[in-house]
Amino acid sequence: MVIKALSLYQDRTSLVHTIDPITKLVFILFSLSFPLILQNIYWSVGILIFCILLLLLGKVFKQTLPILGLSFILLLSILVIQGLYSPKNETLFFSVGFIRFYEEGLLVAVRIILRVTTLLCSVCILVLTTKPSDLIQSLMKKGLPAKIGYVLNSVMQIIPEMRSTMATISDAQRSRGIETEGKLITRIKAFFPLLGPVIMNALVSTRERSMALEVRGFNSTAKKSYLVEPTFSRIGFPLQIVMMVVLAGAIGWRIFQ
Amino acid sequence: MTSITVKSLSFYYKKEDPILTDISLTFDQRTTAIIGQNGAGKTTLVKLLKGLLKPASGEIWINDQDTRVVSVAKLAGYIGLVFQNPNDQIFKSKVIDEVMFGPLNVGQPKEEAITNSMNALLMVGMEDKKDDHPYDLSLSERKLISIASIIAMNTDIVIFDEPTIAQDYAGKETIKRVIHDLQKKGKWVITIIHDMDFVAETFARTIVLANGKILLDGTTREIFLQKDVLVQAGLNLPHVTQLGYLLEKNKTVLTIDEFIKDSKL
Ligand SMILES: Nc1ncnc2c1ncn2[C@@H]1O[C@H](COP(=O)(O)OP(=O)(O)O)[C@@H](O)[C@H]1O
Ligand SMILES: [Mg+2]
Repeated sequence: MVIKALSLYQDRTSLVHTIDPITKLVFILFSLSFPLILQNIYWSVGILIFCILLLLLGKVFKQTLPILGLSFILLLSILVIQGLYSPKNETLFFSVGFIRFYEEGLLVAVRIILRVTTLLCSVCILVLTTKPSDLIQSLMKKGLPAKIGYVLNSVMQIIPEMRSTMATISDAQRSRGIETEGKLITRIKAFFPLLGPVIMNALVSTRERSMALEVRGFNSTAKKSYLVEPTFSRIGFPLQIVMMVVLAGAIGWRIFQ
Repeated sequence: MTSITVKSLSFYYKKEDPILTDISLTFDQRTTAIIGQNGAGKTTLVKLLKGLLKPASGEIWINDQDTRVVSVAKLAGYIGLVFQNPNDQIFKSKVIDEVMFGPLNVGQPKEEAITNSMNALLMVGMEDKKDDHPYDLSLSERKLISIASIIAMNTDIVIFDEPTIAQDYAGKETIKRVIHDLQKKGKWVITIIHDMDFVAETFARTIVLANGKILLDGTTREIFLQKDVLVQAGLNLPHVTQLGYLLEKNKTVLTIDEFIKDSKL
């Protein structure tokens, strides 16, 4: 049985894919704090464009669109509410009939939108171009306890595994006359008999899993090694330094300005 | 009227990796074995017959019902499938409830469902386990329970996917008897199986699946005559048949009984 892993990871070959997860994490921090420190809307736009360029470079921009689209609806409402009702509103920007939009509120809204979109984009760079297991392994090397690493890893696996168990059990039940196709109500009715066996199955496999882990020395205190050592571009570390230096520079500039 | 018609059936899970290509096939009341290497697509084929998977092209008709349009639940009244892995099938917490689940769903009245279920358990020799929890039973016992729960549905067609897995000699004999009993009752029995001795002893017709196509189809004796073709398809012969060929008997022996009779002459 082929189990589709629960992850948004897109398997492509691109420069972005070769960068290590930690650098991408640092980039998320960077892309958020840099515009915050500079408080300049042009820089915010610049960083956002840079994120989008990275997504294009990583060949994953298309996968970002639905995520952005979903949040766009939310962000639109911020624009409307801030534009209409922000307490700072003074300067009329434009009006449609008796609905008046004010410049101050709109500006606040644009800032928020830029920040959220940048966050989404930079998180997408990480999530779409990094294998979850690589990310977790990198974090474990930086000191994340192995047990937490395991929990994170297994959550990625257990959910798709449960989904496939569900498909299997659903097949078994359809095979013996439970109607699962057709009207919505039929489908909902078919869902409940599924729950028992799926949970039962999960419990049984948890027991087996824990025995398998124990047998392989999961609780051993010896230093763990890794079966697969992913290789990343060596440019990652210098990039981290560059981002740190730029951030420090930005902070300095703000202080002495 | 029982009927199974497969017309130019093709199927894939992923487009670039076809599993079955242009298969046409009919079945009849002869007990039929489907053999082929691991991954040949045997399970896929029976899931298609059962309606669980839909053809990529071509069509399958079961008792004049088009599997592409009829729901699996409706087809369940005509065709029963015992899954390869009993754990994929069993989900009730009591054996008798498990066995009665199918019969009740296909519309048998309660009394009839109880009778059919007890008879089915008796047939596989599990009647004294009826109040046990299926998870407390061994794998081979669970397999027998899963067989009983399909037999109890009293369908015209019964398909077994690797029924002899994990069975000892007694279990295999039980399954052999079940297959013969079902056939005597007028059921059509189709079985996926890799135990060639069992094939030779049990089935009238054998179909060999290889590379997404039907490589051979005929009486079991005709099939085991094609020694070289079978070996090429990665299959071996029944042990007693191999022995027969090695001793240069000039005919295909299929069972130990045949071998002994032949030797006495
Ligand atoms: N759900 C699935 N998704 C994708 N590929 C599958 C799935 N099930 C089976 N396969 C593939 O289809 C091929 C045939 O499988 P199957 O019908 O189970 O073979 P058999 O029963 O003859 O051993 C195998 O290569 C298997 O890996
Ligand atoms: Mg199989």
